[in-house]
Amino acid sequence: MAQDQGALRTYNPWPRVGWGLVATIVVVAVVLGFGFLARYQQGGPTLDIWSAICRGIGVTADTGPAGEPKPGLFTPTRIAWTSATLGQIAAGDAKHGASVALVCTGCHGEHGVSQSGQYPTLAGMDPAVIYKQLDDFRSGKRTWGPMNAIGHALSPEDFADVAASFPTQPGGLPALTGNRTPEPGRSLRESDPAKRLVFAGDPQRGIPPCSACHGPGGYKLGAPALQRQHASYIEEQLKAFAQGQRKNDIFEQMRIIARQLTPSEIHAVAVFYAAGAVAPSAGGPASQ
Amino acid sequence: MQNSSRLALYHFWVAFGMFLPAVVLGAWQMLMRSPLPTPLDDTNAYYVSVTLHGTVMAYVITTFFAMGFGYAVTATSLGRPVRGVIAAWIGFVICLVGAVMAAVAVLLGRATVLYTFYPPLLASVWYYFGALLLIGGSMIWVVLMIYNMSAWKRDNPGQPVPLAMFATAATAILWAWAASGVEIELLFVLIPRALGMTSQINVGLGRTLFTVTLHAIVYFWLMPAYIAFYTLVPQAAGGRLYSDTMGRLTFIMFLVFSLPVGLHHIFGDPEIGAGFKFVQSFLTFFVSLPTLLTVFSICASLEIAGRARGGRGLVGWISALPWHEPMVLAVALSLVMLGLGGFGGLINMSYAMNNMIHNTSWVTAHFHLIFGGAVVIMYFAVAYEMWPPITGKPLQSKALACWQLWLWFAGMIIATIPWHITGLMGQPRRVAVFDYSDPFNAPMGPLVIISVIGGLIMLVSAVLLITILVRSQLGERMLTAPLRYALAVNPPRTVPASLNGFALWNSILLVLMLFAYGYPIGQFFFLKSSAPAYEVTRQATGAEIK
Repeated sequence: MAQDQGALRTYNPWPRVGWGLVATIVVVAVVLGFGFLARYQQGGPTLDIWSAICRGIGVTADTGPAGEPKPGLFTPTRIAWTSATLGQIAAGDAKHGASVALVCTGCHGEHGVSQSGQYPTLAGMDPAVIYKQLDDFRSGKRTWGPMNAIGHALSPEDFADVAASFPTQPGGLPALTGNRTPEPGRSLRESDPAKRLVFAGDPQRGIPPCSACHGPGGYKLGAPALQRQHASYIEEQLKAFAQGQRKNDIFEQMRIIARQLTPSEIHAVAVFYAAGAVAPSAGGPASQ
Repeated sequence: MQNSSRLALYHFWVAFGMFLPAVVLGAWQMLMRSPLPTPLDDTNAYYVSVTLHGTVMAYVITTFFAMGFGYAVTATSLGRPVRGVIAAWIGFVICLVGAVMAAVAVLLGRATVLYTFYPPLLASVWYYFGALLLIGGSMIWVVLMIYNMSAWKRDNPGQPVPLAMFATAATAILWAWAASGVEIELLFVLIPRALGMTSQINVGLGRTLFTVTLHAIVYFWLMPAYIAFYTLVPQAAGGRLYSDTMGRLTFIMFLVFSLPVGLHHIFGDPEIGAGFKFVQSFLTFFVSLPTLLTVFSICASLEIAGRARGGRGLVGWISALPWHEPMVLAVALSLVMLGLGGFGGLINMSYAMNNMIHNTSWVTAHFHLIFGGAVVIMYFAVAYEMWPPITGKPLQSKALACWQLWLWFAGMIIATIPWHITGLMGQPRRVAVFDYSDPFNAPMGPLVIISVIGGLIMLVSAVLLITILVRSQLGERMLTAPLRYALAVNPPRTVPASLNGFALWNSILLVLMLFAYGYPIGQFFFLKSSAPAYEVTRQATGAEIK
């Protein structure tokens, strides 16, 4: 074989053996992977050979029989985070939004910093959150008398404009910077139940840490920042999720979590997040 | 070692300099996962730490070590200066800048992606640019290795390329192929999204591209260890290499079979058809061939050495081996860990059995045994072997070096056996805290505590490593023997072109890659699936979405 000096000439032994072995391996793999296993993986031949090959490739035709009639599908929201939705939110015109948002100040406070524990502070809230909630109010997926009316009065473009118009204000929600300064006591070993729930959750009950989506330190598209939000507002919303009155959380995650929290845990978490919020003035705005 | 000594030394020092802090992080992570009290008890810090530990250990240390080793091997095995030293230094600086950029992004908490390039997890663009620079810089090394080998072949027509150089070139070519996946993913999937040029991310495409890199990168880490097996171990044991041809075949098989197999890392992902997953699982089994071939040739080479040293009988040659030589001790410990980890790997790559252990601490145990154990212990031994020729100063205490290797081995075994068991019990990997009062987790507690002890032993070993290297370098300059490679029992006089270059194997590999990855990657161009990214870096404001 010493005179075998052409690595790419198939009449030489090494290239011939190399190509031959690799071709054999490929053929065996194809026959097993796309023919035999795809067809017989459930004991007997469950598919004809063509469908088996398609299954092996990952192209499955939906050929199953139609199921029994089922009750109409309930969707928790109309919003999906597609590029079209995100693009529309990003295109929000803050200037126009600010003039529309004047109507919000009645309840949500000047510049969106709410003075009442009944209404959430909007200043600093992620535009995607405001956009989704307005659309949920419009479609009736979330109910709160005046907000449903407002949702109907505005167009989706207005939603995006309004969402873009709430700047960060002193007393507003802090922007989630992603700064995760490590701090001791942020694990299951923490004795303060609120801090434990916020930073470590409760795996035994399948409760993830609140902070993973709502901050501090975490962020999830569509989940509001909660730091400096009013305690009584957070508490009310958690109760509404627990009792199924509010159900516009896309994967039911808030309903599942809130149902398992005790009233004292709900209160403790709400108080934990409210640290640093504007003190609610008694009664809040009287006009309602 | 001429002009390459300083080059190799700088690369090695970056690798080992980053190694110690990364071991500290690893030990802390083990403490964090255990029921024991932990300083800085913070889950976010754990995920930052996992990301940094993984990034440094898997990408930074390995790349720098492989590059340094490659330059040293080029100069010593070809017996002439490395060509393109200036380019090599430029590559070094580019890699260093990239590594620092990535590390800073992780430390700032803006790239907590658990050292993967798996979307929809998305890191800061600085992390991705850092990775791109690190990988791009190492491509200069790839070109230099291939260039040095072909230049030597041109100057020595008809001569067989020395095995060490042939294997180093195989490593370089393997890395060029492997890195192509993550490079394309970075440039066309991740960085455009991280820069905000797109609002969506093609998750399936990104993940599939990353698997092109994923499995072969492990062999990129492994190759320096295998080069040491074939070319340094028999010499250190005082014997000869059993077969030069077997060595060449091993490195060729690694090149061909480590690449079209990466899909076995994403058996759980829905976007790839079961047939392709099976095909790549099937191909993965062929990677065990070169490993088995290596175990055989190395044991045979050691037996030759043992018998040459007067060992008699069926096992008498084993005790006749020079066990006080770090290189000989390291290869034995390495093969034990390779065996244990390798059999675990057969479970991982099996399409059906993978379900039992997917994403559990079993996987962590597997790659720590293979990479952190079998490979890294050879990195230590290579450093001990190369320190005298490249610094011109003798190694300060071979006995201490053997202690360091034993400690590393013991620590790794004590840490990883419990991980295998807890993995089978269902303990997930990459999770910061466990509620050990839960009846599901409670039986894992004592096992996890045992693994922490292993971690602390490894920490001691790592400190010892740095101490030995620093002490040796600060020692007095003395005349040291040049680095010698093992001769084969029958040194090759001529070899077929197919075993003296890579043209044939690159063409076979190209066909195999098109077969294994053509459709799985191509499908995304007509399926056009995409989803929003899950940014772990910061809140996406309206402006950023734009």
